[in-house]
Amino acid sequence: MKPLKMIADWIDLRIGARDILKKELTGYLLPRNINAWYSLGSVLLFAFALQVLSGILLLIYYVPDADKAFKSVSHIMNEVPFGWLIRMCHAVGSNMMVLALLLHMLSVLFMGSYKRPRELNWLTGFILFTLVQGISLTGYLLPWSQLSFWATTVATNSANAIPVIGPYLVEFLRGGVLVGPPTLGRFFALHVAVIPAGIAALIGAHLFLLKRTGVSTPPFGQQQTSNPWHGDSYHYEDHPGGIPFFPDYSLEDLRAIAIYMACLLAVLFFDPYLFFPKDAFIPANPFVTPSHIKPEWYFLANYQTLKIFPNELIGLSLQGAAMTFLALLPFIDRGPERHPLKRPLFLACSIGGLLLWIGLSIWGHFS
Amino acid sequence: MDHSGRRTFLGICLAGLGALAAAAVGWPVFRYLAPSSSREAAGKVVIPEKEIAEGEAKFFEYAGSSAVLVRKKDGSLVALSAVCTHLGCIVQWQKDKQDFLCPCHAGHYSADGIVTAGPPPRPLPKIPFSVAGGNITVG
Repeated sequence: MKPLKMIADWIDLRIGARDILKKELTGYLLPRNINAWYSLGSVLLFAFALQVLSGILLLIYYVPDADKAFKSVSHIMNEVPFGWLIRMCHAVGSNMMVLALLLHMLSVLFMGSYKRPRELNWLTGFILFTLVQGISLTGYLLPWSQLSFWATTVATNSANAIPVIGPYLVEFLRGGVLVGPPTLGRFFALHVAVIPAGIAALIGAHLFLLKRTGVSTPPFGQQQTSNPWHGDSYHYEDHPGGIPFFPDYSLEDLRAIAIYMACLLAVLFFDPYLFFPKDAFIPANPFVTPSHIKPEWYFLANYQTLKIFPNELIGLSLQGAAMTFLALLPFIDRGPERHPLKRPLFLACSIGGLLLWIGLSIWGHFS
Repeated sequence: MDHSGRRTFLGICLAGLGALAAAAVGWPVFRYLAPSSSREAAGKVVIPEKEIAEGEAKFFEYAGSSAVLVRKKDGSLVALSAVCTHLGCIVQWQKDKQDFLCPCHAGHYSADGIVTAGPPPRPLPKIPFSVAGGNITVG
């Protein structure tokens, strides 16, 4: 152990590493009534890291060429040792990451953690949510299967409803009139470079804001549930006498990550094709549209909304309005109260909205 | 068991579990990244005899690497690895001189793969072959 201590002392002497560790780990105190939902942020960080790692491994064998993409994915799945494991980790992991992200947002919503002074935390989180949707959509095309091809055709075609610029926008997104090899090139660049860089930058901003404002106190298990901040000056919410991030809450985080991994591996080993309809196993054919082509489960509500409204523009506008409302929620819902049971209007609207989303998704699935 | 003994025991258990988990992740990743040529046994390559005229050479892929078949002026055949033993470049057949030249550092080999000039430390390895029914089977 002596050489290790010598190296640690040497580094400490130069950058004060022990001070940083003490401040950020053992000295970083969290509210005593913190709950398990707060671990979802760490779960998401882990899930994103897993996507990046499995994605890099897939890049070794994947060929982003319309003539070779499907074959290269089949090669990964059938011939490369453990290729199926890496690919399924990536494909199933993306679905699990979206699920964890939705749960994270719901917990923030119901605990009123988006309220002042954390409006920017919510906003950066919301942009992250749209970026994750974007990275999922662009990744969907890459295997160049019937499912990829036609789901992308439908998704990109939605932009056609935008007046004046719609048709041009569709062509710009696709790199041509129809989905084809240029679309694959564009989506590949977006999926492996542009959007991941955006997500990494936004995660950085999100964590910076978290560190600057401090962790919010949950509205449960204490007397005071309203927001103590009045907006007169910058205020860091500290928690004297709270529980240390390390080792106490890190273990909670580890437990949540273990549960996430258990769920991911359960799908991977017991029902690996849960998120794969049969069209995902047929190479793309631009001349044959399969029947009942459906998007991923998290886009089913959007898909059904577009089907309900005869005018595509109205359907899209409604979705745009709902997303804008959600993004700007902290600026609309400005009351200081954070306990959900003490906010009946909020509770009714959010549960109603959630049920509507679930209902539309189920309708979309069976329609 | 005293307190420190229990702590050590739990520490060892945790380290063991950690090592198992690292192996469970590391092994699939290693196998995924391992080159395919090392996984495949060297197959046989069949070349029609008429494809190689006297004094000429034919390069082909063999066991994940490059190989060459030469029909010397006396009509005899030689199968060799085409990878220079100096720094791994692929040798070129010089028909006029009836020898091999490595273009990287000017190593020279005879038609039998013996070093005649330059830095290569060893001759080109020979590959077994057989001739039957107008076909040359290498490997």
